[in-house]
Amino acid sequence: MKIKILVIVLITAAVMCLSLVLGPRTINPFAMDKTSREILFSIRAPRSIVALLMGVALGASGAVLQGMLRNPLADPYILGISSGASLSAALGIIGGASVFGSFTVPVFAFGGAVATGGLVGVMGWERGGLWPERLLLAGVGLSFLFSALLMLILSISTDEGLRRATLWIFGDLSMSEWSRVPYGLFFVMAGIALSVWRATALNALMLGDEFAHSLGFAPQRERLILFISVGLMTAASVSLGGMIGFIGLLVPHIMRFFIGSDGRLLIPASALAGGALLCMADLISRSVIAPTELPAGIVTAIIGAPYFLYLLRRKNVLGI
Amino acid sequence: MSSESDLPILGLGRVFFSYSKDGAFIDDLSFSVGGGEFIGLLGPNGSGKSTILKLGAGILRPSSGNITLWGKNIREYRNRDRAKLISYLPQLLDISVPFSVRELVNMGLYPYDILPAMSADEALDMVGLRDRAYCRLSDLSGGERRRTFIAMTLLQGAGLLLLDEPLANLDIKYQIELIRLLGKLREERNISIVMALHDINIALQFEKVMLIKEGRLLGIGHPKKILTSDMLREAFDVEVEVSRSDSGNTYVSYENNF
Repeated sequence: MKIKILVIVLITAAVMCLSLVLGPRTINPFAMDKTSREILFSIRAPRSIVALLMGVALGASGAVLQGMLRNPLADPYILGISSGASLSAALGIIGGASVFGSFTVPVFAFGGAVATGGLVGVMGWERGGLWPERLLLAGVGLSFLFSALLMLILSISTDEGLRRATLWIFGDLSMSEWSRVPYGLFFVMAGIALSVWRATALNALMLGDEFAHSLGFAPQRERLILFISVGLMTAASVSLGGMIGFIGLLVPHIMRFFIGSDGRLLIPASALAGGALLCMADLISRSVIAPTELPAGIVTAIIGAPYFLYLLRRKNVLGI
Repeated sequence: MSSESDLPILGLGRVFFSYSKDGAFIDDLSFSVGGGEFIGLLGPNGSGKSTILKLGAGILRPSSGNITLWGKNIREYRNRDRAKLISYLPQLLDISVPFSVRELVNMGLYPYDILPAMSADEALDMVGLRDRAYCRLSDLSGGERRRTFIAMTLLQGAGLLLLDEPLANLDIKYQIELIRLLGKLREERNISIVMALHDINIALQFEKVMLIKEGRLLGIGHPKKILTSDMLREAFDVEVEVSRSDSGNTYVSYENNF
């Protein structure tokens, strides 16, 4: 088991290194001129770190949500947090807001995500706690509402705003800067720390509230802590670079093939694998048709989905 | 090893409970469970068997009355401390999660920070599942699953098991196997067990049973005293004939109702 974790760590590190040196211009780290150094430190390093953080947040939130909602189809976007974030960000972009300078879009997105998370939490709350089915349905309902409002705004907006908003919605890492790293790092690490700390409770919750209670956990308190950790990570991820599909839904399933369902291993493994996958997808998306870029979210789905389907046919590990 | 102790492990005193505002679902219930007792809990569907077990496990709070665990009010225990004393297994266990047998058994250690007194392998030996340790839960038979959860409670170290219909969906062989296993645990480890069940013939093999109707206790004691034709008619509204076979075993039959 330790070896498997080590392999995942090494793969993630290798992908990070590749994403630093490869691209439209290959950089030899042992013989860098001024331009190469500039590209490496000012463009690729922050971009790779942002991609890594987003992937880490999505992979970990997916693993937590699927367990806590007892639903293999749950992902960080099902709770509507990302739709709220997108709506809020699109309002910021199209409305031409610039109150927070270059941070305007991330701040709008983060605010939208947190507000939506709170709203889903309020609607999922009954009899002193959060109930999985209520959370899911509230999330899906809000998701539809916000998506519709987003489409409405996009359909009546001007060309330039529309293009930028659309890019952002599909996951745009080209705006990554060092300035976004500290807050992203803070919220993602806080979320990971919370969820790994409560990983045993997550395992018990997967087998039902009464079972969790019998093992000494207060199910509703644990679910609230886990919900907050997922909310923080999803909000951070969406505000860093928009919506990236696939990772939150399928990376945790792929990791279950390799290391099982124990949250203490599954959360860190899904986090790392999510980070590695998004880094690699970003590398491909900015390299294949350079200088034009593909949205990274499209690439993650195109690499990841067939691999997932292959695993699904080869091993019956999903328990379904 | 003494099988009787003065201090009850679990005590319910004049407990009332209701799910809604109209009427008590559990109506003035008092009983206690002593050390090493193995009690069968019987009653019609909806009579409150599961509710009683959940009250005893601290999952539900009584609207009045008190519930004590080793002489202390159950509310005074921290969740983790209570989990070291009681293990409750619900009737329906969601096993769609791909945990392995070993992973599940090790969950019994969650309330502890210290090294276990027993290893998962030893617990699996006791329930006869050592060779299945790396199987997934969903690949096991119904009986093996139940035994896996029992092995987990062994690691949990609980002195009181509250089991909600553990025999449901098991065929006769696995029912007997599970009851033998529980009897062995009670003998070797002085574990007290309260178990909801439906099969009156199995209940007749117990040393102590409780009969419940509409949230009230009809009787508690030896099955020969409690599971009589009159009491069973009152509880279930059917004519049940309690007979003695040539070999001296008591059994019930109810074919006259058809």
